Amino acid sequence: MSEGIGASVRRKEDKRFITGKGKYTDDIRQENQAYAAFVRSPHAHAVVKSIDASEAEAMEGVVAVLNGHQLTEDGIGNIIAGWAITSKDGSGMNMGAWSALCTEKVRYVGDTIAIVIADTQEIARNAADAVMVDFDILPAEVNPEATLADGAPQIHDNAPNNQIYDWELGDEAATDAGLASAAHVTEMEIINNRLSPNPMEPRAAIAIFDEAEDHYTLYTTSQNPHVARLLLSAFYQVAPEHKLRVVAPDVGGGFGSKIYVYPEEIACLWASMKTNRSVKWTSTRSEAFLTDAHGRDHVTRAKMGFDANGKIVGFKVDTIANIGAYMSLFSSVTPTYLYATLLSGQYDMPAIHGNVRAVYTNTAPVDAYRGAGRPEATYLVERMMDTAALEMGVDPAELRRKNFIQSFPYQTQVIMNYDSGDFPGCMDKAQAAADVAGFAARKAESASRGKLRGIGYSSFIEACGIAPSAAVGSLGCGVGLWESAEVRVNPVGTIEILTGSHSHGQSHETTFAQLVNDRFGIPIDNVQIVHGDTDKVQFGMGTYGSRSGPVGMNAIVKALDKVEAKVKKIAAHVLEASEDDIVIEAGEVKIAGTDKKMAWHEVGLAAYTAHNLPEGMEPGLKEGAFFDPINFSFPSATLICEVEVDPDTGVTDILQFTTADDFGVIINPMVVEGQVHGGIAQGIGQAMLENVVYDDSGQLLTGSYMDYAMPRADDLPSFTIEHNNVPSPSNPLGLKGCGEAGAIGAPPAVINAICNAIGNNNLSMPATPSKVWAALQEVSTQQAAE
Amino acid sequence: MTEISMVVNGKSVKADVADNTLLVDYIRESLRLTGTHVGCDTSQCGACVVHVDGKAVKSCTMLAASAQGSDVTTIEGLANGDLHPMQAAFKENHGLQCGFCTPGMIMSATDMVARYNASGKELTEEAIRDELEGNICRCTGYHNIVKAIADGASKMTNA
Amino acid sequence: MEMSGEVRIDATVDEVWAALNDAEILKACIPGCQELEKVSDTEMTAKVVLKIGPVKAKFGGEVTLENLNPPNSYSIVGEGKGGIAGFAKGGADVSLEQDGDETVLKYEAKAQVGGKIAQLGSRLIDSTSKKLANQFFDNFRNALTEEPEQVG
Repeated sequence: MSEGIGASVRRKEDKRFITGKGKYTDDIRQENQAYAAFVRSPHAHAVVKSIDASEAEAMEGVVAVLNGHQLTEDGIGNIIAGWAITSKDGSGMNMGAWSALCTEKVRYVGDTIAIVIADTQEIARNAADAVMVDFDILPAEVNPEATLADGAPQIHDNAPNNQIYDWELGDEAATDAGLASAAHVTEMEIINNRLSPNPMEPRAAIAIFDEAEDHYTLYTTSQNPHVARLLLSAFYQVAPEHKLRVVAPDVGGGFGSKIYVYPEEIACLWASMKTNRSVKWTSTRSEAFLTDAHGRDHVTRAKMGFDANGKIVGFKVDTIANIGAYMSLFSSVTPTYLYATLLSGQYDMPAIHGNVRAVYTNTAPVDAYRGAGRPEATYLVERMMDTAALEMGVDPAELRRKNFIQSFPYQTQVIMNYDSGDFPGCMDKAQAAADVAGFAARKAESASRGKLRGIGYSSFIEACGIAPSAAVGSLGCGVGLWESAEVRVNPVGTIEILTGSHSHGQSHETTFAQLVNDRFGIPIDNVQIVHGDTDKVQFGMGTYGSRSGPVGMNAIVKALDKVEAKVKKIAAHVLEASEDDIVIEAGEVKIAGTDKKMAWHEVGLAAYTAHNLPEGMEPGLKEGAFFDPINFSFPSATLICEVEVDPDTGVTDILQFTTADDFGVIINPMVVEGQVHGGIAQGIGQAMLENVVYDDSGQLLTGSYMDYAMPRADDLPSFTIEHNNVPSPSNPLGLKGCGEAGAIGAPPAVINAICNAIGNNNLSMPATPSKVWAALQEVSTQQAAE
Repeated sequence: MTEISMVVNGKSVKADVADNTLLVDYIRESLRLTGTHVGCDTSQCGACVVHVDGKAVKSCTMLAASAQGSDVTTIEGLANGDLHPMQAAFKENHGLQCGFCTPGMIMSATDMVARYNASGKELTEEAIRDELEGNICRCTGYHNIVKAIADGASKMTNA
Repeated sequence: MEMSGEVRIDATVDEVWAALNDAEILKACIPGCQELEKVSDTEMTAKVVLKIGPVKAKFGGEVTLENLNPPNSYSIVGEGKGGIAGFAKGGADVSLEQDGDETVLKYEAKAQVGGKIAQLGSRLIDSTSKKLANQFFDNFRNALTEEPEQVG
């Protein structure tokens, strides 16, 4: 069976996971290991008057209780946001300070006040309980609109009215003119609900300080250990970069929440030096709900204008983005350059204006969560399209088709230059697979059983593999967004691929090896993927934003190009042929059209023995590369959801969920479809189940799996996935990225379907049975009144 | 402290444990069998499922002392040879991504199949989805887990 | 969380008022109360063990009596800290009215919890609070009268 590009190869990494031999951070144990627990604020907003740790310190087994004053004295830096956004008046961000351990004020429930180090986890937790903090409680604000009002609690001194920035993109005058000319204007207020990412492995850290070497090691649950090391050294000043090794071993899911360096990792690393002990911390799920960066949380008012033929003439958007109590690493870019740049969707829009205000509230920090900005844009655009179709009395699919962009490249009014796609083709395939033609009959059949059937569309485009570095730099990004790779061919011909990408469920150990098999015909079992260790891999940018394919894999391809060139030179020299005549096939290096050849391992051996190399060639066979794409990649899809609602209870069943995606070239269809399944499940979760709720005083009411509704197996259907792939012209492999697609595209398809079923377009996420039932009562009340 | 003895993965073990030690902590920290995971603190996620005397148990809801005299199987002890048919089915059907929930899923799945086989009931897709109520996966959307369990069930039955 | 109610007690207003100001009686009646000490006529300190859902915590706190209008009404305000389990604060306006041989005690109470107890037990707070209030008044009536009677 082929193991190359396009083959559904079973995963190399599976064996250790299915036999319980995975090595996650909490599975690692160090000699002389102590345990950390954190003293956290039970208040959403309060002045810390004093911290009394005397009782805790006196407990047997307690090593130390360390607070923010000590942290600051040791010169540990504040936590940064990695992307500077400039307000429309030219001013910079009103960014408040975020110390890993609070000194003066706490700003959300869960805020870190002190770290307790003890001989056992139980003692650490009990001692944290015994630390007495005297608070002066302040009024709190959790609502993103109310926080902007005069008289709202001031959360950071340097952010008047709690506003971080007021930013715009697009042409407001042209958009207003377009809307003024419109034959129909659809207006909506849309709330994008706050979510908790919930990777199944909670965050964890083990910090190891080697006093003799003045060296630190941090094992942690990170999607990007290299960036973590850079932040911990250059910005947080915990340890110099060359004296700090960061290892992200097996990581149990991330979905964005493990991109960031959190207060706990900083505090553990610092505490390992202070106590000269290895310090281990594992988050409880309760702590994860409180402190893992949340996602989404937008309030948006928007107008979309159409001419008499149903063509879009203008789209105006005003969004308030809730950033929470502090600015997390990507919090500034998520609701701006990852959101407003996608407001054109799949549609030819002549004028767009997006305005975004980012605000502080007394809630957990909000940052990138699977899709990051693009789900918010997609939900807005696709709800507007269905609502407009309803208001104008046209078929929602036809309204989309009428406005689809047809030719590429296409320059949108909001920065993005779409390089490729086939939007009508995806719609065709999705409609065929979902048997839209048979929907009316199925609806009638449901009605005969007293049930309400509905269908909903979502046609989305997203931007993956944020790039090129120079462009993102000009927009305020603090780092480059390339990726690195190194290909090491061993003397026996086996291969190690070192990558800056990080796999925490993405299947890199298999799919990256497939690239090598495709190129050289070497079995993937002879290829080892090395990642997640700053001592082994040179600097890399990690995995988020569906970038491992379009960026990470292309870096490997660039390095393979160099290896191939050298292999051909060596073989040409040994076989006494021209380089141009050498071909590599099925693990053999041959002179084309002859039976003269070298086995792959013979070339490796030749490179390392160096007994007979071309004049001037260095020994060895190892090449590295950095890949910086020339553009984003643009995956797109049409998703169709079909639901049945029980009008007596408001319970909604998803009967069919179909998607026809354009992911460009696909390396491993099985893996890609798995990514899509998981993304759709999270999208359905957002649409029907999940919601982070704070009470007015800032207490988190959805702080466990008892109250935060995670999608379970019986909440979901099986999915139908069609492919309509157009290779990306922006990278050598033609990949577009697939990790976030489902989470981006699914929510509006679900809500559009439920609205279609119940005949009421006034429905917000999550569409719980009680909300759907209430929306149904609205309809019957209206009907009774008419 | 309580002295406990039990059989774990076919081996007799004995220890002195604190009265409040959970079975999962005993398995992970004392026996260092780290394939059994902890994904929540309210007994909902199912990452810690093991078999106690042949029945699936969330090992975070049971005290180590309560397992006194029991026969415990963890994911590490499931296979009789290379891979258990259910483990093989998870690989074959791509029923895992990050792998964190997987041991609990597989332990629940084998228990599910055994119960349905014993009662003669058919393990339909709907039944599998219902039975997975106590196991949360965030990566796969369950699509391939359901397929894997159906496949594993037929492999176990025909084995 | 807000709740209100009334209790009929087979005792005079003066007797009920005295009991409401008696630390020993209050200690015996408050569910989970381990300590209750009078610091002054209007201030008390208390230690109470509470279990809400999965969280069990010992709260240490202060209780003050305000708006005293003996023997007819007062407000009782308290705040307790349960360490890592969180905090609880709240108050109740209590009034007494003679009705024949009985006293009608009316109360309007507000309570707020925070921290872990809110995070894990928020769904259960309303029902737990009502249960605790009922327990308190059952105990309180029993302390004042030998035979408890049905209350509407």
